[in-house]
Amino acid sequence: MNRAAAGVVSIALIVATASPVLRKPWQDGFPLSTYAMFAFARPTNQTLEYPLGITASGDRRYLAPWSIGSGEVLQALNVVSRAKSTRTLPALCTTIASRIASLDEYRDVVSIRFVTGTHDAVDFLVRDQLGKETELVRCEVVR
Amino acid sequence: MSKLSAWWFAPAPAERLAAVRILIGAFGLAWVLIRIRESDAVARLPAQHFKPCGVVQILDTPLPPGVALAITIATCVLMAAFIVGFRFRLLAPFAALALLWTLTYRNSWGMIFHTENLLVMHVLALSVSPAADAWALDRRPAQASPIGYGWALKLLAAITAVTYVLAAIAKLRIAGMAWLDGEQLRNQIAVDNLRKALFGDLIAPLATQFLDHPSGFTVFSVMTIVLELSAPIVLVGPRPARLWCLAAWGFHVGVVLLMNIWFLYPLLGVAFVASLPAERPFDGLIRRWHRHRGT
Repeated sequence: MNRAAAGVVSIALIVATASPVLRKPWQDGFPLSTYAMFAFARPTNQTLEYPLGITASGDRRYLAPWSIGSGEVLQALNVVSRAKSTRTLPALCTTIASRIASLDEYRDVVSIRFVTGTHDAVDFLVRDQLGKETELVRCEVVR
Repeated sequence: MSKLSAWWFAPAPAERLAAVRILIGAFGLAWVLIRIRESDAVARLPAQHFKPCGVVQILDTPLPPGVALAITIATCVLMAAFIVGFRFRLLAPFAALALLWTLTYRNSWGMIFHTENLLVMHVLALSVSPAADAWALDRRPAQASPIGYGWALKLLAAITAVTYVLAAIAKLRIAGMAWLDGEQLRNQIAVDNLRKALFGDLIAPLATQFLDHPSGFTVFSVMTIVLELSAPIVLVGPRPARLWCLAAWGFHVGVVLLMNIWFLYPLLGVAFVASLPAERPFDGLIRRWHRHRGT
């Protein structure tokens, strides 16, 4: 490789990496990203759908993301919201119930509740204040 | 122009670029291997979750999971060849393209992560450089690269710098100077930890302590923007580069402590090796090996 070719390669890769600046910040891509993930304003009051494990005594357990189909929280969140929008939450509920049925970690869980919860993130984390939850779907864990 | 050219093509040892190839390649291979089960699980999600991005946009529907897994395994083999410098000029571009495909496919299921972008760009850049002129299975070329090895190291450092500057630009484009008052950062951290808590994941060790004292986030926000905008300093010289890399590493440690988000590529220092004398640990190991063998 001569200097001219190395220069062209260098400019091409640097320009490509910088090129997302020409897009709208929310038009993300891979591997050429706008890196806007921490740039958006987010209210601390959040409404999310998520599954809860319910024990025989009625206590709640938060379920690990892998039980939903991914080890990543954001991916799991996406799976749940997509299932809600495509009205396949009952099927997802059954899948999660069958995944956790044989696991020691969740042996006290007898049913799964999918809820829509609205929480203030700071109150939830700092002051242990639970917001409002509405049940969407419930299914039993069959063992 | 000639000054710019002289600076860009300033000499650097072939061993330094080789060390960077080995470290970045090893990280890439380990990353794909460690996440192979997770990638396979995601590839088995119902097709309705498939939202192709980047090069994967050539697909309308997901690949059969077995095919996706086979490509991932082929990527691992090619990355192994990349690390040891086997048929580098021929195979390294394939390794880079395979890594690009595998990681883009993983990001094509409704959620784009930001932990792998820089790794892919670095491997792409290395694959077209003379990074296997030393410490490689390929026979060492009779003559050193006529344009030297420094330009490739500068290219990697420049790509790193651009990604951090882009992150600052995104914040300033969307929120403007208001991003500096700390409220947005605090809210980001609160919301991210809320999601983790609701999805049964660990929340960050220092999140609750700091969320209760919001004034500290103004300092964190200013420091973040200053760090990101000052990234091009890595191209100025070795000492500023080392200082910036240390500051960036500290920033990522802070992200772990406040958000429990692990950007392993910079946390392990691999993202910054092109700006550091990466060959020194290898030199030491090689010297010890020769002493051990009495050669």
